[in-house]
Amino acid sequence: MTQVSAPRPSAPGPGPSAGSDRPRSGPHLVLLALYALFILASGSRAIVQIATKFSEAPIAYLLSAVAACTYVAGWFAIRRAAAGRPAFARVMLWVELGGVIVIGTLSLVVRSWFPDDSVWSDYGKGYGWVPAALPILGLLWVHRSPAAKERS
Amino acid sequence: MSALAPIVWIVAGYALLVALAAAVGVAWRAPRPRWLDQLAWMLELLSAVLAVGALGLVVNGHRPDSLSTHLGYVAAVVVILPVALLSIREDRGSWSSGVVAVAALATGVVAVRIWMTR
Repeated sequence: MTQVSAPRPSAPGPGPSAGSDRPRSGPHLVLLALYALFILASGSRAIVQIATKFSEAPIAYLLSAVAACTYVAGWFAIRRAAAGRPAFARVMLWVELGGVIVIGTLSLVVRSWFPDDSVWSDYGKGYGWVPAALPILGLLWVHRSPAAKERS
Repeated sequence: MSALAPIVWIVAGYALLVALAAAVGVAWRAPRPRWLDQLAWMLELLSAVLAVGALGLVVNGHRPDSLSTHLGYVAAVVVILPVALLSIREDRGSWSSGVVAVAALATGVVAVRIWMTR
């Protein structure tokens, strides 16, 4: 008598699933969740600030909007990298890290430009420094994960 | 507004518990257990109670310093977990527990922000 075993659910592991652009389970899921959260947080923050009190700190509020756009791009970059196309992520995550460092430094050095905080003020202190950690974690993942290796 | 305090701290504390349980799942590299989903949906229920309470106070005449910010947090507290759970509905890998951890932690932080912007 032949035994028929039930089909097993696909094992979690790195790398894109066969025949699909949808990446399998991996650390990028957590990165994508964090990016989605920061799209929500910085996007809604920028919208409210620009709509209600733009004249109080225009530079800071515009930079919050820039941060929100960067997180949207970062989310797509991580998703593409997880599907085996890491080129955009390699550029975008460095751009994001540069933004956090430049704006974080400016917010400490030229206080008058930032009467109110932007998302990246003080290197993202208002968000527990997660904005500074995110691109670093993303870059580590892109460079180490087999999921983010270029498809041949 | 003090009527909201107990539920805020219950949501924040429970969210921390769910986040820790999910983080342990990631650390152990275990597939996401069904009970973690159930814990997360229970947190969603508590968050909905918090949102209804916060909205009830606004409807009854309480005006936060920034109404738009406060309402934004109220909307976020009920949206975060369902979106996160839907995004991983077909994936029971260990890293999907990390998504639950992030969403639960964010829900707890937003609950506290609702209290801070009251």
